[in-house]
Amino acid sequence: MMSFNQLLTRILLILSVILLTACSSVPYLEGNTQEPRVTLPTGYAEKTLTSEYDDPWEGFNRRMYYFNAKADEYVLLPVVAGYKAVTPDVLEVGIHNFFSNLGEIPVFINSILQAKVGVAAETFSRFAVNASLGALGFFDVATPLGLDKQNEDFGQTLGVWGINSGPYLVLPLLGPSSLRDATGAALDMLAFQTVIEELGMEGDEEMFLSLLSSIDARANLPFRYYSSGSAFEYERLKILYMKYREIQIAR
Amino acid sequence: MRLIIVFIVLFLIACSSSNQPLLEVKANVCDIDYTPYQATVTGYCQEAAAILPKRIPTVEKEIELRLIASIPEVFWYSNKMKYSLIKQAEKAPLVFVIAGTGASYNSSKMISLQKTLFQQGYHVISLSSPTYSNFIINLDSTTDFPGVLSKDAQNLYGVMQKVYQQVVVENNIEATSFSLTGYSLGGAHAAYISKLDESEKIFNFKKVVLINPPVSLYNSVTILDSYLDLKDGGRDAASAMLDDIFSAFAQSYAEQQSSAFSDGSIYALFKDAELSEEELELLIGASFRMSSSDMLFALDVSYNLGGLIYKNHKITKFESITNAMHRSNIVTFGQYFEKVVVPWQQENHPNLTREELIAKLGLKNIESYLRHSEKISLVTNADDIILAEGEVEYLQDVFGSRAQIFTRGGHCGNMDRVSFVEYMNSQFQGSE
Repeated sequence: MMSFNQLLTRILLILSVILLTACSSVPYLEGNTQEPRVTLPTGYAEKTLTSEYDDPWEGFNRRMYYFNAKADEYVLLPVVAGYKAVTPDVLEVGIHNFFSNLGEIPVFINSILQAKVGVAAETFSRFAVNASLGALGFFDVATPLGLDKQNEDFGQTLGVWGINSGPYLVLPLLGPSSLRDATGAALDMLAFQTVIEELGMEGDEEMFLSLLSSIDARANLPFRYYSSGSAFEYERLKILYMKYREIQIAR
Repeated sequence: MRLIIVFIVLFLIACSSSNQPLLEVKANVCDIDYTPYQATVTGYCQEAAAILPKRIPTVEKEIELRLIASIPEVFWYSNKMKYSLIKQAEKAPLVFVIAGTGASYNSSKMISLQKTLFQQGYHVISLSSPTYSNFIINLDSTTDFPGVLSKDAQNLYGVMQKVYQQVVVENNIEATSFSLTGYSLGGAHAAYISKLDESEKIFNFKKVVLINPPVSLYNSVTILDSYLDLKDGGRDAASAMLDDIFSAFAQSYAEQQSSAFSDGSIYALFKDAELSEEELELLIGASFRMSSSDMLFALDVSYNLGGLIYKNHKITKFESITNAMHRSNIVTFGQYFEKVVVPWQQENHPNLTREELIAKLGLKNIESYLRHSEKISLVTNADDIILAEGEVEYLQDVFGSRAQIFTRGGHCGNMDRVSFVEYMNSQFQGSE
């Protein structure tokens, strides 16, 4: 049987292919319009931070950005609010720690792939300590012991291997990404899926776990679409995302 | 002012998906060399953070001031004016708080003021600055440009009345008295609103505190514009420098032990990046320019000015506005003043000269009121970067014993620090 995540991935893939090729962000100008009075010096636009990062799929990306904002408003955030209301805080933190501990596995794999021995060792110790002393990861006992949480994913691994980010890409529900990072995220998800299957879960339990992990992930992300209030949030978030990834990869 | 850094910080914290609450946990003190620019960017972290409530019962509110159908499509997410209310359980005094240039009712500085005032027993209503997109788009006006303080004050005063009516009806607010405060441009707004209230007598403010206000808008804006205006090389040099700043952060992040971002590690990051004074100025200037481009775009869309976007063209919600952003990024606040504000005011007041208008946009214009109004106090820092030479002394002279001028803190860098919060507590004593 196809798992929830696989099904979702497939639907999104099909949707993406259709949308990526079909939409434009170029304005349609009515007959009586006049050119803006402020004019840019020649070559200005090419030198800006925004133009440092390719966005050939802007039409698709802007639609997906909008879709994500709406999905957030009508589905994800209400679900998160409901989840927070019914779950005692201690349990909420416990659940977060549990998923965070499972998340150490892809971090470990990726630090090996990037030949970062120190990071790999620290992550492995974290996982081992939390899985045993931390009651299957419900408690984070590793951080107070000085074992810091690390952040590696397959997108970063590909970056370390010298693969460029490729065009900016806004993923359905997941938000800002790039062609490289989206590929990486799919592979990380696969690794995560394998772990869940290793736990010997049945179809329904597996789906519940995937769902819970998604809710937990959203609950712990303070980002809200359009909350900057700026009309240029799309552009600024693009720069921040790309810069942030550069900083992570340089690490 | 801290927008860029806050943006980066928020984003990084968001991505590290740590379960630490935002803004509440502050590392005690930082180990960075003090400059007023640094304090403006990172906050005056050399002084200990004040103890403020971690959570406050904020109610997100919105009010319809304009027909929703009249809101331009590109601002579809902004079709009501947003503000917030923090309510005391019992009836209590109420304080209005007004945000600084380009800032919203829930900017990080607003939140620290909200916590301070709520802790003192006040109902708190927070309003965005008239220079903030959501305010511009929703203001029930088709002619007013922000920046003319007396006009802004009238608009804010109108909004305050409507908003107060709404919270009385919807949230059963019972206010025993009204007070007012605001920081930066919001501080100057508070002064003008207080003066307006003397004749309108709707709220009869009991206490008004001006936090780091500009003395002359024109002087402050000239200072901030100049930070982006690099002498050698202009724009190219500015973007090269911005790249250097990013690389410096990348470098110090790479050398950090943990990949997680706590407030402490952000200070460490900042320390290691070793930004020069010029680089700090650039960050401040860039953050200010970001606010101004948001404002200009909102005005252009709202009034169909045809400055940054095609005149008579309706921008749809999926349309690329990147070119409009580029255009708005090259316009300085000074140019906005010369090309938009001056002609607009002269249209309404044909005899008004440019110099007279500059003189009107500041505290000097209402000096005698400020000098004699006992309920108004002022708090600022001797090294506030938006004040021109002699302006600190001017403030001291006008407000006399009602002025609290801290030696350090830059522009609004100390609003969540111990001595500032203590001062606010001494001014806002709740109901006696």
